[in-house]
Amino acid sequence: MIRLAAAALVTVVVGIPLAILPAAPVTWLTVVALAIGTTGALVLSVALVTAGASLALIAYAVALALARPAADPFTSVVFGSTLVLLLALVHFGRRIDDAVVGPGVVAGQIRHWMAIVALGVAGAVVLTLGGAVLGPALVGATLPVVVVAAALGALLAVAGVISLVTAPRDSSVVAPPAARKGQ
Amino acid sequence: MSWQPTALNVSFLTLVGWALFLAVLTARADLVILAIPLVVALVAGRRGAAAALRIDHRVSADRLFEDERATVTLTLRADGAVPLVELLEPLPPRVHLERGRHHAFFTLRAGEEIHWEMVLRCAGRQHLQLGGPHLRFWGPLGLSAAEARHRAPHTVAVYPHLEPLRHLPRPLRTQTFVGNYVSPSQGEGIEPGDIRPFAPGDHVRHVNWRATLRLDTLHVTQHHRERNADVVLLLDTLSDVGPSGGTVVDVAARAAATLASAYLARKDRVGLIEYGGQLRWVRPGSGRAQLQRLLDTLLDASVVFTYVTRDVDLIPPRILPPQALVLALSPLLDARFVRAASDLAARRFDLVVIAVSPVAVARAAVRRSRVADVAARLWALERRAQLEELRRGGLTIIDWDGVGPLDVALASLGQRRPRRVLAG
Repeated sequence: MIRLAAAALVTVVVGIPLAILPAAPVTWLTVVALAIGTTGALVLSVALVTAGASLALIAYAVALALARPAADPFTSVVFGSTLVLLLALVHFGRRIDDAVVGPGVVAGQIRHWMAIVALGVAGAVVLTLGGAVLGPALVGATLPVVVVAAALGALLAVAGVISLVTAPRDSSVVAPPAARKGQ
Repeated sequence: MSWQPTALNVSFLTLVGWALFLAVLTARADLVILAIPLVVALVAGRRGAAAALRIDHRVSADRLFEDERATVTLTLRADGAVPLVELLEPLPPRVHLERGRHHAFFTLRAGEEIHWEMVLRCAGRQHLQLGGPHLRFWGPLGLSAAEARHRAPHTVAVYPHLEPLRHLPRPLRTQTFVGNYVSPSQGEGIEPGDIRPFAPGDHVRHVNWRATLRLDTLHVTQHHRERNADVVLLLDTLSDVGPSGGTVVDVAARAAATLASAYLARKDRVGLIEYGGQLRWVRPGSGRAQLQRLLDTLLDASVVFTYVTRDVDLIPPRILPPQALVLALSPLLDARFVRAASDLAARRFDLVVIAVSPVAVARAAVRRSRVADVAARLWALERRAQLEELRRGGLTIIDWDGVGPLDVALASLGQRRPRRVLAG
């Protein structure tokens, strides 16, 4: 069930760039993203799903760059929220695979995820509206501000990944439960 | 309990980095907006609530025989809400899950109680150590986790499996206590013996009326005494062969436990000598307490490597009585044990060697191949020649493959042992 739900979310993620521009480069990227993402969903591998989602993101960027549509915050929020749900679902599925799941666990998790997604949607709406309100006041400066903020964010994200990967940690926390089943 | 970020953070940060990098590259605000739910999830999803959980860890038995089941029950009671807790009960080797799982996830509301049960099958003799479950508390999105260990050490003694036996080697000599063996000496008993003329002091109920009428004088029937015997189990722990849990020593320990139980049920006194790097013994005794002592000693029987050879002369007579039936359980792989057995036989001990074949157990530990098959056949031939030579030297040997029933192997001895025992 979790695998099917994850595969459905992968389909949504790769479907958005195709819906924007069903052209050759985007199609090839989404086909590869779909293959990797679906495989990741079926084997419940967070790494494969992340790789598939990254390719879908690139396909989305390519579609936006080529088609040059008007900004569509709704689609972007749906895309981002789907990515959150996809990663959380695959990670959860991986953890509970071959384990007893108590009553209310799945329902409780879905409630938590929805609350966080709702928070994310609210944040995106606030920032979008804030941008729309401040836009006329900062004519000519909007794009540089967005670009600088995005560049800083990208740098911080890369720094975060590097620090997480290289930081010494309690390996038992990071290791998936499957690695410890042989005990 | 400290919360730590999990590997899922890397995936979230990777996607955030991609989205923002592509936003800069394409100068599209859509990609920045796309990253916002991911960033919010990263910030909000790492919040871990302090969990207050009380755990009661129970094991249904503290003593078991091989292949019997133990039920492990965990009762979880939450003082506060626990969004998601993962539990893992590590399984020791040679323990199999018969029912349930040893890995579970639960969500508990404040004051809620949850029971979790699993049934374990213990496949080999051992001191089974169950230390209590590992706990992992998860944050709402799986982006952070905190680990703890609930220490509830339980030790379960898993004794060797006892088989039913019908053909026990009969001891040649009996002792002075009441038992199940018909002694040649006359006295109180139920087995009729000779008929003799009545003498003052004889009980009237012993009068043989048929003989009295025929011979015209009172005659009485004498009876044979029923006596017990001393049995000493000599376990060879000088060498071992086979996979963990199914070694020759494991098989021999199982046979020793079975023999001890069977002889004790016949009111005999049973003792045990572990003849290996460590010379340990249990003085002959009878009753249920003695069986418990023997099983506890057999549980710890293992090979302790040593170059030192201890002579059987070191064993005091109260541990190895001269009248005792000595049952030696050995794969006959170590020359020191063969010498000790030959020494006992030369000293007129009533010795029976149960030769546990190491071929079958060693074969089970090796991958099937033609070379292995040929090697096993050659080994079996060599072993058969060795046993024949020892038999010619005066040893009574029962060849047992260690796989089939011990009773079948013991039945082969019945024809070669005298039925009537000697008086002790």
